[in-house]
Amino acid sequence: MQQFRRTVAGLVALALLAGAQAQQVTIEFWHSMGGVLGEATEALVQEFNKSQREVRVKSQYVGSYDDGINKLLAALRAGRGYPHVIQVYDIGARILADSGAVLPLEDLARKEGFDLGRFLAQPRNYYTVDGKLYGLPFNSSNPILYFNMAAFEEAGVAFRPSWSLKDLEEAARKLTKKDAQGRTLRYGLSIPIDSWFVEQISYNSGEYFCNNENGRKARATAVTFDNEAAVAFLDMYARLVREGVAANTGRTWADSQSLFAQGQAAIAAYSTASLTGVLRQVGNRFPLRTAFYPYVGQRNGVAIGGAALYLLKGFPEAETKAAWAFIRFLLEPKTQAKWHLATGYFPVVQGVTELPEVRQAHVRQPNYTTAIQQLLTSKANTASAGCLMGAFPEIRQYVQAAWEETLRGKPAREALREAKSRADQALERYNRSVAQR
Amino acid sequence: MRRRLQGLALTYLLAGGLSFLLVLPLLTLVSASLRTEADLYTPGLLPPNPTLAPYVEAFSQFPLGRFLLNSLVVSTAITLGVLATSLLAAYALTRLRFRGRELLFGLAVALLLVPGEVTFLPLYLLVDRLGWLDSYLALVVPFLASPLGVFLLRQFLRTIPEDYFDAARMDGANHWQMLWHVALPLSAPALGALAAVTFLGAWNMYLWPLVVTKSRELQTAQIAVNYMLNEEVARWNVVAAGAILVLLPTLVAFLLAQRAFVRGIALGGLKG
Amino acid sequence: MRAGLEALAFLLPAYGLFLLFMILPVGEALWLSLHQEDLFGRGREWAGLANYGEALARPEFWKSVGLTLKFALITAPLELLLGLVAALLVYRPYPGVALFRTLFFLTTAVPTAVAAVAWGWFLHPVGGYANRVLGALGLPPMPWLTSPELALPTLAVITAWAGVGFTAILLTAGLQNIPEEVLEAATVDGAGPWTRFWRITLPLLSPTLFLTGLLVLLKSLTAFGQIHLLTRGGPAESSMVWIYRVYQDAFFNFRVPLAAAEAFLLFLVLLALAGLQFWLLGRRVHYAA
Repeated sequence: MQQFRRTVAGLVALALLAGAQAQQVTIEFWHSMGGVLGEATEALVQEFNKSQREVRVKSQYVGSYDDGINKLLAALRAGRGYPHVIQVYDIGARILADSGAVLPLEDLARKEGFDLGRFLAQPRNYYTVDGKLYGLPFNSSNPILYFNMAAFEEAGVAFRPSWSLKDLEEAARKLTKKDAQGRTLRYGLSIPIDSWFVEQISYNSGEYFCNNENGRKARATAVTFDNEAAVAFLDMYARLVREGVAANTGRTWADSQSLFAQGQAAIAAYSTASLTGVLRQVGNRFPLRTAFYPYVGQRNGVAIGGAALYLLKGFPEAETKAAWAFIRFLLEPKTQAKWHLATGYFPVVQGVTELPEVRQAHVRQPNYTTAIQQLLTSKANTASAGCLMGAFPEIRQYVQAAWEETLRGKPAREALREAKSRADQALERYNRSVAQR
Repeated sequence: MRRRLQGLALTYLLAGGLSFLLVLPLLTLVSASLRTEADLYTPGLLPPNPTLAPYVEAFSQFPLGRFLLNSLVVSTAITLGVLATSLLAAYALTRLRFRGRELLFGLAVALLLVPGEVTFLPLYLLVDRLGWLDSYLALVVPFLASPLGVFLLRQFLRTIPEDYFDAARMDGANHWQMLWHVALPLSAPALGALAAVTFLGAWNMYLWPLVVTKSRELQTAQIAVNYMLNEEVARWNVVAAGAILVLLPTLVAFLLAQRAFVRGIALGGLKG
Repeated sequence: MRAGLEALAFLLPAYGLFLLFMILPVGEALWLSLHQEDLFGRGREWAGLANYGEALARPEFWKSVGLTLKFALITAPLELLLGLVAALLVYRPYPGVALFRTLFFLTTAVPTAVAAVAWGWFLHPVGGYANRVLGALGLPPMPWLTSPELALPTLAVITAWAGVGFTAILLTAGLQNIPEEVLEAATVDGAGPWTRFWRITLPLLSPTLFLTGLLVLLKSLTAFGQIHLLTRGGPAESSMVWIYRVYQDAFFNFRVPLAAAEAFLLFLVLLALAGLQFWLLGRRVHYAA
């Protein structure tokens, strides 16, 4: 009898377990966060999975941002095999909205009663397409300047939190150290060749990167990256490289970062998200400080970079609800605080910087506040909303090629004009191709 | 005699110099893999404070054991498959008489030249339609037959004297038996060569596994290198350690089976 | 009839797989190249030869063709020369030859990704040995992979390095096939080593050399991994070779039909070159025997 009862109890427990198992919804989540960032992402997923029993998120690192969007496009093309949630880089916003495969976050948020007013303005503006918020600005960054303070002291250059491009150029010259033969021992400035920095100098100087006010008033039909700020920036960089003041380490951020961390470049520009890695690389070689990204003329404000999470259409109601639960978890101030402190990406909802753990961390390492301060003191307008256009990945290549042309001696205006004609063609073709739908 | 010795000395000098130039990039990689992050940029080929920490780090950051095992499984499966399918086809192309034989051989030759990048996307879509994405099937099945294998073995089988087969036929052997008892043992050197070349090729596959796999449990050693370059690019010592670990298996295989490798390449490249 | 069936059983595994995983996809690539669609693969419609027309009309495409040619014309001779020197040093036995053979053939066993990492570090702008050596010689550092002038030649050198083992193996085999008696006869006639090499070795080796060269050329026309890992086609598109342009158009610019057309054109060129190779092979069958 005892035996029998035990068996029955066991069976009941098993059935209950099975029931719970059946109710649990599994959703797939593709991301492109590797290294330190990947660990932080996995930690969030684990925490979510442990916090409740209804939803299990299966996360997958799908390679770089480019690999990720390629895998998504291939899956969309095949009509299956795509995930519930995917992380896509900033410049994929227009493409994702045009794909018709994305469930706008705004629709879900309204349905589920989430107040969109809790978002900070810039991240929300960036991912708003045709008046609707499409993606969740999950990892948001902006560009900042990194200073080697030992070099600053040695050269007698004073720290300032905000720099015009002209002042930066002067400081870079002063900070450069050369040997008797005129070979550079320490560069004044090192910026990786990445279109992102050209985009940001435009926004921060109140210029647009593409027409129709950065594609925010209407669909962008032409690029405007041959603006004065971008021309001044590229001309300056090429000039400094020729003088042996600025380094050319190519497109790879890491190469520029090791130059900086080795003390062989006094000023550098990277993303806020690079801060944790750079701090680790620098170790205690020299004190490091960060400052706002430079501007030409008057400081307007930078746009955000990074990536957003998108929910895809075509799944059963229960699974979409489960995906929303995950998104909702990521938006909790507590989650945002953890993410911010582990990665250097800044929080995208209000009320996070006031949390005690965040405050303490900011006192310990004030460099983490630079990005947030920069964001809060930026003007929120269509320039700082960032350019929204299709074919952006292709167009970035043209901008980078133009930058490289200027290092070869071509005037920036000419190089950017040539790049513009190719970019405009690409954009025109993109717009035509999606308009047929 | 003196001339000879002089000639030998010159040979050693030249061969030593060329070897050094060829091996130098690999030596610097080994050197980087034995350095701490602080010593990474210290000049000199010898690491100032040798450490195995980057290897430990590479193993703890990436499931390298799993990646290497996957590469091994995939490469072995592909190699065995290629040996089987190639031998069967090559046997038919040399020993059986049927219409269109030359045409089929010509087809294999033409297929030798299709660059993988041309068929990449259609192949991806096909594998997806079959529901194989993110599985060992996608990594293995499309490569189980190789035009190079068919070409190579067909050329080799043609060099086997008719007498061997005649003797077997007298004993009443059918084609399967002749394949098993005559062609297979006699083509052992060619099979060994093909195995070596195929294994190496499969081990080196880069773009395809990168695109068709998503789960870490399925990824191969080459992708590990790509990920390390993406994720840990600033920590060259860890990247270098990972690369050395990925290199070791092929290096060991090469050292053990150098004859087969050399033969495989010489056969595949030249025998008309 | 029975023989036909039997042949089918033998051929089916290999040719079935060929059909499914090579011919069908090639066909589909061709089919795709004759269509127009948006980047999500929607709205596919017949375009005839429009994609080919567009590819051939683009200056970028011709620039890529030129870069491919330049890349091949640096890689192939360099790889051939290094391979020939290596082969000449090891084709005859002497004490220690096995060690040198192993070292010369070694690069065959180095996966592309590992080769790229090794060279990436060797040429690293901050810690690279190449620039260290230049510095020690009092020369300025070189922007190996970051200047548009140097990137392609540098990649060609890396490719040649990776291929030396392959070439050395082929040429060693070729040299060993030259009958010893011919050389001995020449020695008896009083020819020095230099004369023997130019008058006898090289002419006798020339068919092998030519075929190896063709193979190396074919390989260099489709070099991809090292470019992908080291320069991504840059800087300033200076290493955007044909095959990389195909990749870029398909997986970056999301223009799959155009990329398919470019890929198909490349396929035709490769096919023509390979046809040349086989025609030449046919003319020297005696070598195989």
